[in-house]
Amino acid sequence: MSPLRRFLRTPEAVAGALLLAMLIAMALSASLLFPGDPQAIAGPALLPPFQDWSLPLGTDRLGRDVLAELFHGARTSLAVGLAAAAAALVVGAVVGTLAGFAGGLVDEVLMRITDAFQTVPSFLLALAFVSVVGPSLGVVVIAIALGTWTGPARVARAEVLSIRERDYVAGARVIGMHPLAIAFREVLPNALPPVLAMSSVIVAAAILTEAALSFLGLGDPNRVTWGGMIAEGRAVLRTAPFLSIVPGIALVLTVLGVYLAGEGIVETTAVRRGLS
Amino acid sequence: MNLLAVSNLTKRYRRGGKTIAAVDDVSFHIDPGETLALAGPSGSGKSTIARLVLRLIEPDDGRIEFESDDFLALSGAALRARRARLQMVFQDPLAAFNPRATVARVLDDPLRIHGIASRAERPRRIAALLERVGLTANLAPRAIHEISGGQRQRVAIARAIVTKPSLIVLDEAVSALDVSVRGEILELLLDLQRQEKIAYLFISHDLGVIRSVAHRVILLDAGRIAENGDAQTVIGAPQSAIGKALVAAAPRLNRAGP
Repeated sequence: MSPLRRFLRTPEAVAGALLLAMLIAMALSASLLFPGDPQAIAGPALLPPFQDWSLPLGTDRLGRDVLAELFHGARTSLAVGLAAAAAALVVGAVVGTLAGFAGGLVDEVLMRITDAFQTVPSFLLALAFVSVVGPSLGVVVIAIALGTWTGPARVARAEVLSIRERDYVAGARVIGMHPLAIAFREVLPNALPPVLAMSSVIVAAAILTEAALSFLGLGDPNRVTWGGMIAEGRAVLRTAPFLSIVPGIALVLTVLGVYLAGEGIVETTAVRRGLS
Repeated sequence: MNLLAVSNLTKRYRRGGKTIAAVDDVSFHIDPGETLALAGPSGSGKSTIARLVLRLIEPDDGRIEFESDDFLALSGAALRARRARLQMVFQDPLAAFNPRATVARVLDDPLRIHGIASRAERPRRIAALLERVGLTANLAPRAIHEISGGQRQRVAIARAIVTKPSLIVLDEAVSALDVSVRGEILELLLDLQRQEKIAYLFISHDLGVIRSVAHRVILLDAGRIAENGDAQTVIGAPQSAIGKALVAAAPRLNRAGP
C-alpha cells in the first residue's frame, strides 16, 4: 500500500490534513478575498458576528473587519510557525551532527552551549530577545527558533553517535572523503528521520509562542496576528467576547491540525520503515 | 622492498579500570602482489589490526611503513590522498554502504575525491569498473539495497580498485557470502591480484579459504602472534596450541590433511 493511501486511512491524519489545508487556503487567499489593509476601518465598532453579511464575523473596537483580520492573521501564524520550525530544525541538525561526529572538545563546547540554551525557558528567551532587538517578523522567527533548536540538536547528536560507528562511515574514510563531507553527505541524511519526526510538535509550539508574543504586544506591529487580536479583545471581554473567542478557536484548530497531520506523516513513514 | 611493514604495533583498550591489549607487539610485512592472511579466534585482534593499518583507529605504540613512508606520520589532506593506495573491503556488504546510495554513487565518490576522472568521463569509468568485477553496467542506477549480497560485494571490490591501490585489506570479505558466491568472489580477487599486482591482507577465520588463497599466514591469539609462516605448512602442521585448535575446529581440513 502506498504511503499516501495509508495516510488517508488514518482518520486523525485526514482531519489534521483538512484543517491544515483550510489554514493554507486562508493564508493564500487573504489578499484576494480581502484586498487592502486588514487594519483599516471597515464599519461601525463592536459589530457582533452574523449581523451584517458584508462583515460576517463583525468588527472590533476600532471597527476593523474581524474576518479579514482572521485571514491575514493566518498568514502570519503559518509563516512564523514554519519559518521558526525550519530554522530550529536546520540549526539543530547541523549543531547535533557536528557535535556527534567530531566528538571530543567540539562536542563538549557545542553541547554545553546547547545546555545553556535549554536551561533558560524558551518563552523567556524569546521574550527577552524581542524586547532587546525590537519586534518584527524576522526577529520573532529568530526569537522562537532560539528556544527550540536544542531539542533537534540532542536527537540528531544521539542518532549521529550511533551512525558514526557504522561500516559505511569507515568506508567513506577509507576512500579519502573529507570529514565534513562524511558528516553532511553520509551521516546527516541518515540521522534526519527522527529529527523530522519532531517537526509537527515544533511547528505547533512555534505558532503558540508567536501568538503569546503578540498577545504581550511583542509581535510585528505592522501585521495582524491572532495573538494580537486576542489581546485587543481582552479589553472588551465581557461585552464582546467573540473578539477573543474567534481568533482563539482559529489558533486551537491550527495547532490541532498541524499536530494531527504531523503525527499522521510520522506514523505512515514509521510503518513503511518497519516493514522494509 | 616491503610494501607494508608493521613493527611492534600495540593497541590497548581500557575496560572498567583494567587495560586490555587488543593488539600486543605485533610485527609483520607484506610484499607487493602477496597475500598475507590473518587468522585466529574471535577477539584475537584480527579486525583491530585491519583498522590500525587503515588508520581508522590510532595505535598506542608501533610503526607502520607503507610504500616506504611512515604511514602514521601522515595527517589531513596528505593522509586522505595516500588512502587511494590502501583500500578495504568489509565483511557485511550491506553495512559497508550508505543505505541511501546507488551503485553509481558508490563508485563515483572515489573517482571524484581523487580527481581520477572528469565529470563527463565518470559514467563510462563506472561502467568499465562494473564490467571489470563481473557485473553489468545497467546495475549503475540501482540502489544498494536492491541488489544481491554477492553483487554488493562485487561493487565493494569495484570501489576498492577504483583508485588502483597496491594493498587491499579484506576483513572477512567472503565470510558473509554463501558458498557458491564465495568461490566466485575469491576467483575474482585472485584474478585481480594476477593482473594488477595487488597485495591482500586477508582476514578470515576460515582456514580452508586461507589455504586456497594466501601465500603466508599469521595465527593470532589474544592480540599476539602465535604462529607465522607459509600458509600450506602452517595449516598442514600447526605447531602452536591455537593453531592446532583452529585446524581441529575445521573437520574438513583434518580429514584432508596428511
